[in-house]
Amino acid sequence: MKGPTRTLDPDFGLTFSMFYISAVGKGVPAVDFELTEDQETIRKAVAGLLRDFDDRYWMEKDRDHAFPEEFYAAVADGGWLGITIPEEHGGHGLGITEATLLLEEVARSGGGMNAASAIHMSIFGMHPVVVHGSDELKRRTLPRIARGDLHVCFGVTEPGAGLDTTSITTYARRAGDHYVVSGRKVWISKALESEKILLLTRTARRDEVEKPTDGMTLFLTDLDRDRVDIRPIPKMGRNAVSSNEVFIDDLRVPVEDRVGEEGQGFRYLLDGLNPERMLIAAEALGIGRVALDRAVRYGREREVFGRPIGMNQGIQFPLADALAHLDAAELVLRKATWLYDQGRPCGREANTAKYLCADAGFTAADRALQTHGGMGYSEEYPVARFFREARLMRIAPVSQEMVLNYLGSHTLGLPRSY
Amino acid sequence: MERDEFTLVRDMLRAFATRFRTGSADDVKAQTRADAQRALDDLGLTGLRRTSPPAATVQECALLAEEHGRQPLTTSLLGTALLAPELLRLLDDGERADPVHGDRPTVALAGDLRFPDPDAVGLVAWDCDGADTALFVHAEGRVTEHELGAPAPTADLLRGVRRASAEGRPVGRLTPGAHRSWQAYALVVVASELVGAARSFVGQSVDYARERQQYGQPIGSFQAVQHQLADATVLVEACTSAARYAAWCLDSETPDRALTAARVAKAEVNSSAVEAVYAGMQVFGGIAQTWEHVAHLYLRRVLVGATALATTADLLTVLAAPEATR
Ligand SMILES: Cc1cc2nc3c(=O)[nH]c(=O)nc-3n(C[C@H](O)[C@H](O)[C@H](O)COP(=O)(O)OP(=O)(O)OC[C@H]3O[C@@H](n4cnc5c(N)ncnc54)[C@H](O)[C@@H]3O)c2cc1C
Repeated sequence: MKGPTRTLDPDFGLTFSMFYISAVGKGVPAVDFELTEDQETIRKAVAGLLRDFDDRYWMEKDRDHAFPEEFYAAVADGGWLGITIPEEHGGHGLGITEATLLLEEVARSGGGMNAASAIHMSIFGMHPVVVHGSDELKRRTLPRIARGDLHVCFGVTEPGAGLDTTSITTYARRAGDHYVVSGRKVWISKALESEKILLLTRTARRDEVEKPTDGMTLFLTDLDRDRVDIRPIPKMGRNAVSSNEVFIDDLRVPVEDRVGEEGQGFRYLLDGLNPERMLIAAEALGIGRVALDRAVRYGREREVFGRPIGMNQGIQFPLADALAHLDAAELVLRKATWLYDQGRPCGREANTAKYLCADAGFTAADRALQTHGGMGYSEEYPVARFFREARLMRIAPVSQEMVLNYLGSHTLGLPRSY
Repeated sequence: MERDEFTLVRDMLRAFATRFRTGSADDVKAQTRADAQRALDDLGLTGLRRTSPPAATVQECALLAEEHGRQPLTTSLLGTALLAPELLRLLDDGERADPVHGDRPTVALAGDLRFPDPDAVGLVAWDCDGADTALFVHAEGRVTEHELGAPAPTADLLRGVRRASAEGRPVGRLTPGAHRSWQAYALVVVASELVGAARSFVGQSVDYARERQQYGQPIGSFQAVQHQLADATVLVEACTSAARYAAWCLDSETPDRALTAARVAKAEVNSSAVEAVYAGMQVFGGIAQTWEHVAHLYLRRVLVGATALATTADLLTVLAAPEATR
């Protein structure tokens, strides 16, 4: 089936009102854990669409470090890439709840982070452009993102600026109707495959501005290969999508490629931080779910000492425990996306969801690997791949420690520790 | 000590401990405490390290502390037979100003049961059963003797803790090396007693898992129970090794190295002994939640013990610092 269309319920706001009592005493359930029919449809449609991309497909793409073109095309043709892009720019204008369901299902299909990262930037990465970009920039880029013929990557991290984003030094110097950008980015996923980069730069050095978050400017511009050298980083997993060192040497960037105002780039990214955390959480959740499914299957089938290994509490309990943690993490994620779509504050929930889903996803993958015994270590079964990919979610794009920093200082009000 | 001699001493202590063990929290009464302490005093253990060179090694003392920890006992082996006598022995290396007034001193600690920092207030005498005064080592190495006051509250129902007079009589001063040895010795002995408690309690829960039947089979046949006990055993082995190694260091290495090993041991014990007792309690199920059962006596001992002398936070902070500045 095709992706969501205009015929969907225009009031896509979730009835997922489990934390808010809606109609007590009228015989209406106060807590509703059901997804809406449309959300359920998204799930089923995506699962159906991806059924053909089996373990072998992902194993080979990962092994060969090959971008999953066929998968990407299927998702684009299904109309899913523009799920959150506004309708006037060729998307569906749906909420973060739907986007998380989509990415969760994509990861859960067995594609894991290889699949999710191949489309992640298209799903929500354009948010700063949608909110702050000029009409002209939006017209030029967003419909192409939604159609799938524009690949973009996201360039924030630098060798000297990991989590501490305001320490970036990539500099954009204004020269008439354009900027000249030089600097070095690292870890930029999909840069190799991308035509454009959403690039965070400094237009004023950190020691020239009042607050470290000032003086940063965001661009959506071409990765001109004459001016930009891109070198893939050999890495532990998620190898179907490259992550790269990006050397930028006097790259000319037209003023029209600037997103919003000069000096406001960091603030534009902040807007997208919470939904970004939710999407990552959803991907981690999906990978945990698929790892657990495979472990359960193996636990039923594999016989040792004359009985299925899943009959041992030593195997069964860790899997049951993983299920409980995934279920709990999912609830926080649903709450977070619901709050965001309602326009309510959600920093606490978004961070908690990322934290719990990343841990639950990794733990599930780890236990799935243990359940498979020696076979878990072989690439013949997908659990080793899930394990490698799930581990990433505890580091990027924000580490578990930084989530705790957020909760410690923002939510609990303790003094900032760094 | 000769091997036979040590075995004899340990067997005596074991026989004593079996006889005077607390069967249940309600048995902890003034009279039973006094009787038990008298019986322990009769074993004459205060002189273990009073000769020169000491008759007993630190390793032997640590093993006796383990033995004492195995049973729920109210008696003061640590305070009056091991710690205070060792402190007086170490003082002889430094300036021993005045004789001690008490016949049977124990040791005093800061009010929170930790080694004092320079401005510690509110001393408590620790492990006081049978004691008449308490010796306090100040942060800079000075030693004073204090009178015992009213009982002080503590969650460990077995351990006698009393307030100590604010003013103390000067007794002398530890040299910097002796001060380090003293801290290392105290950490090792206290850690060893907790190791004994954890080991014994896990052992008791293993026995229980063998006996207790549910669903027609011993609960120990369920892997969930079995694996918890296996994990707890690993924890007990880890903290046993760390504590015994630290004791060996005191016998064989410089005070600096011994103190580092003792800090590692106490940090390991602080978490592992508590974890192991938690696991044991889980295996006992509901019965361990009752007042009559000994489980909470062990739990209290290890929980309070984990904060005594030095908490994990204290220790890890020091251990993380460059060696030269510790
Ligand atoms: C496979 C992969 C893909 C990536 N893709 C992209 C991409 O497309 N675009 C992009 O811009 N970036 C990307 N990144 C980079 C990613 O966002 C960073 O790796 C991440 O932000 C962590 O930064 P760092 O690696 O520099 O770690 P550092 O910032 O050096 O942190 C190292 C460790 O110190 C801890 N730490 C740091 N500060 C604190 C503190 N204040 N309190 C407590 N602990 C702290 C961290 O939690 C971490 O454990 C990717 C990374 C990977 C591995």
